[in-house]
Amino acid sequence: MRTSRRARMLLNGAGMLFAVVWAFPVYWMVTTAFKPQHDILTSTPHFLPFPLTLANFADAVRKPHFGAYVVNSLAVTLTVVAVATAVGFLAALALARFRFVGRRAILVTILAIQMIPAPALVIPLFLTMKSMHLLNNLLSLGLTYTAFVVPLTVWVLRGFAQGVPVELEEAARLDGAGPAQVIRHVMLPLLAPGIIATSIFAFITAWNDYVYAYVMMKDDAHYTLPVWLATFSTNTGTDYAGLIAGSTLFALPAVAFFMIAQTKLTAGMTAGAVKG
Amino acid sequence: MRNRSLNAIPTSAPGRRGTAPPRRVAPGPPGPPAARRPRRTPQPYILLAPALVLLAVVVGYPLVRLGVISTQGFGLRTLITGRTSSVGAANYTAILHDAQLAPILLRTVVFAATLVAGTVAVGLGAALMMVAVGRRLRSAMMLALLGAWAMPTVASTLVWQWLFQPTYGVVNWLLTQLRVFGDYRQHDFLAHPVSGFVVVWLLVVWISVPFVALTLYAGLTQIPGEYHEAAAIDGAGYWRRVRTVTLPFLRPVLMLVTVMSVIWDFNVFNQIWILTKGGPDGGTTTIAIWSFTKAFASQSYGQGAAIAVFSVVLLAVLAGWWVRRLVVAGEEA
Amino acid sequence: MRIRIPAGLAAGIVLALGATACSSSTSSGPTGTSTPASGGNAGKTLTVWYMDGDLSDAAVKAINDKFTALTGAQVKVQIQQWDGINTKVATALAQDNPPDVLEIGNTDVPLFAASGGLSDITSALPDLQAGGQHWLPGLEGPATVGGKSFGAPLFAGNRAVIYNKKIWAAAGITAPPTTFAQLTADLDAVKAKNTAPDFSAFYFPGKYWHGALQFVWDAGGQLAAQSGGKWTGTLESAEAQKGLTAWKDFVGKYSSAASRDVETTAPDFNTLFAQGKAGAILNSSINSILKVGPSLKDQIGTFPFPSATDGRTQPVFLGGSDLAIAAKSKNQSLALAYLKAATDPAVQASAIVGIDHWIPASTEVIDQTIGSLPATSQAFFTAAKTSVPTPAVAGWATVESDKSIDDFFADIATGRKSPAEAAKSLDAHLDQALNAPVS
Repeated sequence: MRTSRRARMLLNGAGMLFAVVWAFPVYWMVTTAFKPQHDILTSTPHFLPFPLTLANFADAVRKPHFGAYVVNSLAVTLTVVAVATAVGFLAALALARFRFVGRRAILVTILAIQMIPAPALVIPLFLTMKSMHLLNNLLSLGLTYTAFVVPLTVWVLRGFAQGVPVELEEAARLDGAGPAQVIRHVMLPLLAPGIIATSIFAFITAWNDYVYAYVMMKDDAHYTLPVWLATFSTNTGTDYAGLIAGSTLFALPAVAFFMIAQTKLTAGMTAGAVKG
Repeated sequence: MRNRSLNAIPTSAPGRRGTAPPRRVAPGPPGPPAARRPRRTPQPYILLAPALVLLAVVVGYPLVRLGVISTQGFGLRTLITGRTSSVGAANYTAILHDAQLAPILLRTVVFAATLVAGTVAVGLGAALMMVAVGRRLRSAMMLALLGAWAMPTVASTLVWQWLFQPTYGVVNWLLTQLRVFGDYRQHDFLAHPVSGFVVVWLLVVWISVPFVALTLYAGLTQIPGEYHEAAAIDGAGYWRRVRTVTLPFLRPVLMLVTVMSVIWDFNVFNQIWILTKGGPDGGTTTIAIWSFTKAFASQSYGQGAAIAVFSVVLLAVLAGWWVRRLVVAGEEA
Repeated sequence: MRIRIPAGLAAGIVLALGATACSSSTSSGPTGTSTPASGGNAGKTLTVWYMDGDLSDAAVKAINDKFTALTGAQVKVQIQQWDGINTKVATALAQDNPPDVLEIGNTDVPLFAASGGLSDITSALPDLQAGGQHWLPGLEGPATVGGKSFGAPLFAGNRAVIYNKKIWAAAGITAPPTTFAQLTADLDAVKAKNTAPDFSAFYFPGKYWHGALQFVWDAGGQLAAQSGGKWTGTLESAEAQKGLTAWKDFVGKYSSAASRDVETTAPDFNTLFAQGKAGAILNSSINSILKVGPSLKDQIGTFPFPSATDGRTQPVFLGGSDLAIAAKSKNQSLALAYLKAATDPAVQASAIVGIDHWIPASTEVIDQTIGSLPATSQAFFTAAKTSVPTPAVAGWATVESDKSIDDFFADIATGRKSPAEAAKSLDAHLDQALNAPVS
């Protein structure tokens, strides 16, 4: 969009300030992870991590079961992203493209689900998974996280789906595209920005949960990475260096996921737009 | 089966072209074609089935159990032995007669309102900046947002403690360096309810803005460029274009993120609990903290559940108007 | 010379431990009737939950080896995290296949004992305490509910003063104090020598209730008293008020203004000490300090916090853990054998004391091992001899978890409330929480 010189300068300045303020805590985490233990808290801040050490990372990944936790976390999280996006996408299509009995009620119910404070569901969900014999099974975590992110996914994707003009689909059909192709080449590319936002939301929700992972799993081998992060705090003290190095490693996959999602879907979007 | 259900998607109502201007890809406004009447076709239900079944089993059923627990003297012994005993409405009357109720409610509403205002304003500002600035700065902003979003809660709250703690706080150090406020190095921000709330507020806004900003940005990229160009040719300046073109197009997404923020900020728990534990002297105790301490500190899951149910009803009443508008907004073509 | 404990005794550590290990193991052979015979258990595995960071792997292995030697069965150890542990244990005990044996923090044991999730081990006590072992009251008391016993002690930890010898020497003090008057005189000297606003002669965070309680107990006060089955908060008593006022004066004088409303973790008081911003702190171990400042190794001294009454030390809060058996465990007798292995005096001496330097389960083992410890550990053992448990009732866990006890002391330290006002509201909360039925 075209903007005046003054507005542009103002926006650029504000953008830079925003990036610095939002990045600073992350920067602080990452640089702290490289600091030796005795440099972590200093009365005059050390803005650069010198002297630099990798010991904190080495300690963090050497914790027991680290490998198993990585595998569990990735398996659960990627499944949740895929299933929640698919399930949410289908539901969003129904709500955006059809009028039917109970539509508004469903919309409101889905939103109302978000109103329940998360800690309140811990015991009821535990009892539910217990009666379904899913405790100590990663499936219970997958189901829980998917259910937590589907409402938002449905609402966001519905908004985007409504924005897709029916004419585009008709045009594609006249060109001989089947329903699957219409979805792939028309709907998906146009919904891409929404899908990026909701899939990151799903990724981070599933990736970050501690409480449900801790309560529903029982064997060491079944925990996920947030439980590994909790191992840095014990009754005899907190290993701040290890915790902050662990947190840095912990955040990496989410950032990587975002980058991949962004490039893949942006590419898809352009391709779709050309065809559409 | 799959083909049949998908076949239904492109079926479009005739005459739509006449009823609304062909908006290309604005998220939201057009909605289902106005001419289409509710029909008894199985397709939408088939499309919705996976989501509804999942939500019914994983949220609906536990929600019913939560309701049942809220009428029981449900504590540790009940959880372990499975033997329940009904107490009727006793848990609810206990809440309503608790002297803490009124100040907690007031605090929760004020805190949530200021959080929502801050999150949506900053998030919208960031989204507008992202479409306006160059590619490199945009990437930097996105990366900063994503980093803030991806940072685990345990790390963000820990860094926040480090930023604001006496003796070692980076913010304390900065304020002192400014030489305006005097020596702030030994100041304890969390020792006073108001400054404690400000520190928590900053953290929650910092964590919440990424979702709002990225979703709004996604909405902004869907606005066809021609509209801005047309407005620019008419001589509209940047701010006028934001007001007359951008915001109306963005409205459905903006309302969605606002409603979501209302809901999330009303229930915000982790950040308050880790930073202040609801103190000093209960000065930062919100309804979420209250429900948590009843359920998990006192092991009175029954009372905790009652507070949770109460809080959902209250939120539904407070946010009801917004939710209604949000649903209706999707219908207006 | 004001040194009370001859440091030279530490030299004989290996020898002494070896001797105790031998002599004890002969006296505590498998005499118990409840201990399963070695045969028949070879293929069985017992699941045991330990808390992260309490016992070292080597200490756990020593207990497991003893258990395997006694029974022939194997042990599967799982380490649990502290965050959300009460919910975790509660939900685990609610399942049909819970862990067989669990380590539970001693202040939380009454909660689970009262809720029906743990096995009653009263009838096995004579066997577990064979050889005349007297378990520490701070560990055994909380595990006893309504006259029945639900847990056996594993280890204890308590607090002593840790001071920076270099800072104290610079202020002209070369030997640790043995009376409260000496302590305050020493701290006055340290304070006069170090005037930086972020320096504390004795850093004592306002929310550090484990430490602050020592002043209450030292003055003869109590948190709560039980009579006729009903608990009453007693912080308004004259004794408790005297202790609270003494504590308020102490922290007001020797701890920095910034410490009034903080916990020990933010800012981390071990780091403050390691960086020379505190002349002394009260903590349960010097390990966390050495992790931040390894160079302080020879610069750290310890002594028990002296009582206001000359010749005594302040009573300490005895933290620690008990081992309990899940009521729904299908291996009850093997689980009992595990408790036997863990409380075995020889294992306690070699693993709990010898490897981890924790306070062992019984006074007999304390006496047996104290001479063999490094100088910095002895102060903790001496201090442990006078310990007071928190109220042995399920509701105590509420007071710890809802942080009302943290706020109580912070209110006094900051001056938000007078000791009398603060005591009035916490007493009311104690009256309610400690008498709340476990439903």
